[in-house]
Amino acid sequence: MIGLIVRRFLQLVLLLLGISFLVFMSMHIAPGDPATIIGGPTASASDLEAIRNDLGLDRPVIVQYADYLGGILQGDFGYSFQTGQPVTDAILTRFPNTIKLATASMIVAIIIGIVTGIVSAIKQNSWIDLSSTTFALAGVSIPNFWLGTMLILVFAVNLQWLPVGGLSAPIYTIEGMKELILPAITLGTASAALIARMSRSAMLEVIRSDYIRTAKAKGVKPRSLIWIHALRNAMIPVVTVIGINFGGLLGGTIITEQVFAINGIGRLMIDAIASRDFPIVQGTVLLVAAIFVLVNLIVDLIYAFIDPRITYN
Amino acid sequence: MKNKNLFQFITFLLITVFVVVGCSDKSSSKSGGTSNGGAPSELTYASTSDAAGLSPIDTNDSVSSNVTGQIYETLFTQDPKTLETEPLLAESYETPDDNTWVIKLREGITFHDGTPFNAEAVKYTFEQIKDPERAAPRASLLAPIESIEVKDEYTVVLKTKEPYGPMLAALSHTNAAIVSPAADKEGDIGKNPVGTGPFVFEKWVEGDHVTLKRNEDYWREPAELEKVTFKVVPETSTAISMLETGEVQFIDALPSDQLPRIESIKSVKVQKSEGTRVSYLGFNMEKAPFNELEFRQAVAYGVDQEAYVAQLNGLGTYNESIIGPKVFGYNEEAKNEGYPFDKEKAKEMIKENGYSGEKITLLTANRDNYMKMAEIVQSQLTEIGLTVEIETMEWATFLDTARKGNYEMTFLGWSNSTADGSELLYPNLHSDNIGSSNYSRYKNEAFDKLVQESRSTVDQEVRKEKLHEANIMAIKDAPWIVMEHGTVTAAYDKSVSGLVVDPTGKWSLYNVSRK
Repeated sequence: MIGLIVRRFLQLVLLLLGISFLVFMSMHIAPGDPATIIGGPTASASDLEAIRNDLGLDRPVIVQYADYLGGILQGDFGYSFQTGQPVTDAILTRFPNTIKLATASMIVAIIIGIVTGIVSAIKQNSWIDLSSTTFALAGVSIPNFWLGTMLILVFAVNLQWLPVGGLSAPIYTIEGMKELILPAITLGTASAALIARMSRSAMLEVIRSDYIRTAKAKGVKPRSLIWIHALRNAMIPVVTVIGINFGGLLGGTIITEQVFAINGIGRLMIDAIASRDFPIVQGTVLLVAAIFVLVNLIVDLIYAFIDPRITYN
Repeated sequence: MKNKNLFQFITFLLITVFVVVGCSDKSSSKSGGTSNGGAPSELTYASTSDAAGLSPIDTNDSVSSNVTGQIYETLFTQDPKTLETEPLLAESYETPDDNTWVIKLREGITFHDGTPFNAEAVKYTFEQIKDPERAAPRASLLAPIESIEVKDEYTVVLKTKEPYGPMLAALSHTNAAIVSPAADKEGDIGKNPVGTGPFVFEKWVEGDHVTLKRNEDYWREPAELEKVTFKVVPETSTAISMLETGEVQFIDALPSDQLPRIESIKSVKVQKSEGTRVSYLGFNMEKAPFNELEFRQAVAYGVDQEAYVAQLNGLGTYNESIIGPKVFGYNEEAKNEGYPFDKEKAKEMIKENGYSGEKITLLTANRDNYMKMAEIVQSQLTEIGLTVEIETMEWATFLDTARKGNYEMTFLGWSNSTADGSELLYPNLHSDNIGSSNYSRYKNEAFDKLVQESRSTVDQEVRKEKLHEANIMAIKDAPWIVMEHGTVTAAYDKSVSGLVVDPTGKWSLYNVSRK
């Protein structure tokens, strides 16, 4: 187990190094000049030159990259071109919002996904099964943008039960929870649908297996048969889907953050790309990559917990 | 057993969620604290992006200006209705000769940090704007100023190399606002802004909101509003929903396609008035056949701007003049000096000059109304016998490409934040700025001379004539074909009063109140 963790961390460092190089170079090669964005259309050639000089963009790219790496080794991820704020500060202000949103969405997704998946597996081909598979198909197909806008119109504008957007109240207050409901449903729906499909097929496979038949023959009650004997074994592929999805959600969820005016990592990244704010783009991409790798590591560790036959030696 | 617990937990969670939703009080989402008499004294404004910074010296975007405009003040200001220049932090001025501006400052004003506003503060601010080390994005505003002298505590003398006509317009620009020298030297005014304005900075959660509170020691009557919040809401449709539910009370720069929805909201008032912005179809004057007058004329005759403006739900007006009706230097005569829509004439010119089937590419940024313009112009030019392709680009890439001149024809706009004709013609069409803001790469010596004179004349009547002459010349020469003159818009809750959006799109919250 320890060996696995150490190995993964070493891989992570190499991976991040590679990613930092690719992102750095692609941002510098891509068309669009940060100075034109800062200076605006009015800026004269000499204004732009001064800005470029100020940002250090007039040096050779490789020197800039070496400088950037040197900074990272000392924990300095640079400063935003747009606001002059340290990249770590910019990320730290937004990350809690993304964590809140991702966690709330995942809770929605897990509850709806697993329950509908299991119920439709048990009642295969019934109307419940049919409606939940339809939900799953619709859930994956509906664009977040549309779903979010519709939820706002119905629950915030017409019924006025929930606020339209923003995450400003603390999470432990009623206001804070109310703010999270619509974005969590918007973002959680697609994951819920995936989890439901995965749970259904894994469950169907498990309840047809020999040991379940034996348990049934021995007179185990249907409820404990499903929830105790079958569920645990059906969970392995489901946990994989949950893990990958959660990693993705933590990386920022551009559209949901945009629609609900949530100040998260996804929006930080997309704004930074549009304004060619290189240090912010690099910082957020590195963060997202690191999260993805870490979540996958955690998923691997959970496997061993769910199925004791899996060991990492 | 573990699973049973999980099931119970889930049930508990679901119940909690429903209880929370069920218990909610419909009116609780309305924001706005109340002061005496129960009228709300707070206002929340939503903008699509965050301020880049809160220092007027170091920023050059309208979102930042919206915030800094409430915190800092300029020496002069323009009346939001007439755009006449009036003194603000200045008391009066005189020009003993064409190169000298003696500005008398108002006495007894202090910055929010308690330090006095005086001639030293003006000198410090202007020198910072001009300092190449600081790389101020609007350094060009004060470039003609050669020296800034403190004559006495409340008198400052600006000397220029040559007469600078738009001086007062430049000194009224948000980016020429006076900052507290002490605050700028000791800290970062981009994060902790310190000015003399009616509102004092309170807090900035980057990417989310900025809050300001009323300046109780303001040199005029304090503002009516106690607290104002600038909230970032990137999606316009979300902002409109928030306006409808009362989460925000004010939005501006309304997109034309959302206008019908906004106008249908009963609790919301919409303000529309003529603006200084001009949007145009520009030619790359360094490429053939775009550098041939006959070609540009044919295109100009072939474009039906009214068909485009008709799709803007009542925003935007068309007029052939490059200098718009709300810009200094406009003369009514100019509005019919261009090439009105005449499809037959356009077809004829295309045929006669051998342009039939000429393949042209319209470079278009995928924002604002540019895509709409491109599609309409594409079909109109196809009808007169040209083959037109649209090349779409994201804004940053577009700016870079257009600046380098890697295009044939393109769409752009100019907001003209000083509402002065020289500030339109000089950056955009004067040959000094080829390679930077003169995207059309227009070069015409006679025109350059007129624009230069409009800048270096202090007599405003003479300036007006020079600008009119230059305007006519550019309209006839057609490096640009005007598409529309913009409309400035705002939508706000009916409880808000006293809000005036000026033709450049700027507004002040000083006189705003809620009932």
